[in-house]
Amino acid sequence: MNNFHFFPNRLSAKVSAALAITALVPMLSQAQNSMPTLSNPNVSVILDGYYQSEDRLMTERAEGFGLGETELALSANIDDMFYGKFTSVFESHDGESEVHLEEAFIQTMALPNGFTVRGGRFLSDIGYLNNQHSHTDSFTSRPSAYRAFLGGHYFDDGLRVSYIAPTDTYWLMGAEVFSGDSLRAADEHGERDFDSTGVYTAFTKIGGDIGVESSWQLGFSYLRNENGQLTAEDHDEDEHEEEEHAEDEHDHAHSASYTGKNTYAADFVFKWAPNGNYKYQHLTLSAEYFRVSDFMLPELHDEHEEEHEHEEEHHDEGHAKDYHEAWYVSGVYQFSPNWSAGLRYGELDSQLQHEEHFDQQELKETELSLAWHNSHFSTVRLEFSHQSNVGFEQAENDNVITLQYVMSLGAHGAHQF
Amino acid sequence: MLLLYNTLCLWGLTVRINFKLIISGVLFTLSSNAFAQFNIFTCEPEYAALAKELAPDARIYSATTAMQDPHQVQARPSLIAKMRQADLVVCAGAELEVGWLPMLQMKAANAKVRNTDLGLFFAADHVETLDKMSNVDRSMGDVHSQGNPHLHFSPPRILAIAKALTEKLIQLDSDNSRDYQQQLERFSSRWTLASAKWQEAASKLSGMKVIAYHSSFRYLFDFSGIEQVADLEPKPGLPPTSGHLAGLLKQANNSDITAIVIASYQDKRGANWLAEKSNLPVIVLPLSVGGNEQSNDLFSLYDNVFDLLSQEYSAKKL
Repeated sequence: MNNFHFFPNRLSAKVSAALAITALVPMLSQAQNSMPTLSNPNVSVILDGYYQSEDRLMTERAEGFGLGETELALSANIDDMFYGKFTSVFESHDGESEVHLEEAFIQTMALPNGFTVRGGRFLSDIGYLNNQHSHTDSFTSRPSAYRAFLGGHYFDDGLRVSYIAPTDTYWLMGAEVFSGDSLRAADEHGERDFDSTGVYTAFTKIGGDIGVESSWQLGFSYLRNENGQLTAEDHDEDEHEEEEHAEDEHDHAHSASYTGKNTYAADFVFKWAPNGNYKYQHLTLSAEYFRVSDFMLPELHDEHEEEHEHEEEHHDEGHAKDYHEAWYVSGVYQFSPNWSAGLRYGELDSQLQHEEHFDQQELKETELSLAWHNSHFSTVRLEFSHQSNVGFEQAENDNVITLQYVMSLGAHGAHQF
Repeated sequence: MLLLYNTLCLWGLTVRINFKLIISGVLFTLSSNAFAQFNIFTCEPEYAALAKELAPDARIYSATTAMQDPHQVQARPSLIAKMRQADLVVCAGAELEVGWLPMLQMKAANAKVRNTDLGLFFAADHVETLDKMSNVDRSMGDVHSQGNPHLHFSPPRILAIAKALTEKLIQLDSDNSRDYQQQLERFSSRWTLASAKWQEAASKLSGMKVIAYHSSFRYLFDFSGIEQVADLEPKPGLPPTSGHLAGLLKQANNSDITAIVIASYQDKRGANWLAEKSNLPVIVLPLSVGGNEQSNDLFSLYDNVFDLLSQEYSAKKL
């Protein structure tokens, strides 16, 4: 059977890569011409580049020129029962390129009674923004709540079951199970015994219209993270850890900076357009609140309590809470098909482990963005953001200017509400 | 003691009665909403109007109104909830709804309306569309390779669509096939009669030249022999720019254009600016049923559109 080895092993990798590309090219050219089929899936590319004047806390975008989430996505109905999607994301910061797989999932399409099952790697449906791709955002970075608690946006390997009720008022219920790797608490010594299935979520969303002009959606989510609680730090490695922390933030841009056992979130979205006609003007108001509690293991918690009392005796400041919380409110108005502007304000209130006690941190961010849309497929955005913080290392109170483009080519999937 | 027992018994009885009431209430709601009535979800109001002619007993919901751009619709919660309950989804097709219908289908988790073999109906699949393009590029703007999807101003096409839609209704709801057949016959004879009247009105409009916004009335102009000499949009889907409008003004001054035609959902500013500079009248045509007070169904929609166009054209000829 040796005859069947047409190519030497080394060559075959290159050849198959070339074959893959040649297979992709006709798909790209066909993608727009007809409805996607099995042999002709939806292919789309999102191009995202930026210049940012300063570093921002916990963001994937670094100072200077860089590429944001440049994504290549393929999707199609696999057969009458399954839909599949593959999204890979290319990013570059500090001169280093990263490729990672953001989505690789299958979803059922023909289960009865409003049930849907999704498996593989996908974006969790908790909160409002999390299941949306970042290229649809109206600001260059996710709110601090997402950056701090979900690593920007939370995608993971797992399973989702959702159910939509047969009611005139939209009512969705769902639950997910994930491996939870990116939401694990810091593990300095690499000796923690983490659960391999670490994250469980439950969410519900309800929504409807008010007349023809307005629509709303309200959501509640809960995330349980079995690996989210912190262990005690050692005293003598103090300085080391500071460095490690700084490195961590760059290495694991997709990992959550703050984790805890229980996360509760509430979100609300309201959209309005004159006559319900979204072509010319429309307004989107949204707000979300996240609370991450139980971030310490019980024994640590006791120490913390003691430390806490101790602290209060000696100095009045450092009044650390036993939960993290964050929220934002945002308003975006498209005043013509070519122009839109957005304003967002958010606060993060977190506790940083420092030796045996926790230091309170606070981050306040105000963002103003102005976007020019040549068409639905091309956006150039200028954003001014002001961050003021207490208790963050290596962070100044800064004004940051970001210039960004986000453009899509190929088949472009429909947007979510 | 006996009194207490009696009270408890009575209380228990009341609770049981109430519970029964609740159960029967729920069952009644379920049966009247989910089972008894055939549920039709349409993407545009013209297909809701057509569905009403062909299946008057059905529960019909239109995702858009004549005041909304059918290209740009939010896949909003209410639409997902409505599609979840639908037995049949009727849309124009030819990629008109490509920006939102797939998302609704994905979110509604209703296997009945996923593909055209079952409860999904695309009008464009059953008629010949105009302006098909073999090579579509985004630089051309928002064009549809499968041809112009704004089909509903073509009387013969509407008749063909009505026949195909009736077949679909019979396929899905065969118990009522005789009713659907009767409704189609009734509709066909009324439509044929009205079409003769519209044909006459259209023949008088032949040769009329207009500047219009988008290709929304492509089929109407084709039916009437009206010539759209220019488009307010520089490229399909892109809003009028000042440079483009200035070019149109030159064109308007140098030829025998009767009017500027826009649809009920379209922005009037560009058209009004051009009208003011060129002394041309602006005709706002209802895009669909509900686009103005006079357009209450497909028949009155057509009547109204021909009235509005004829008024301006005869005024111009005088």
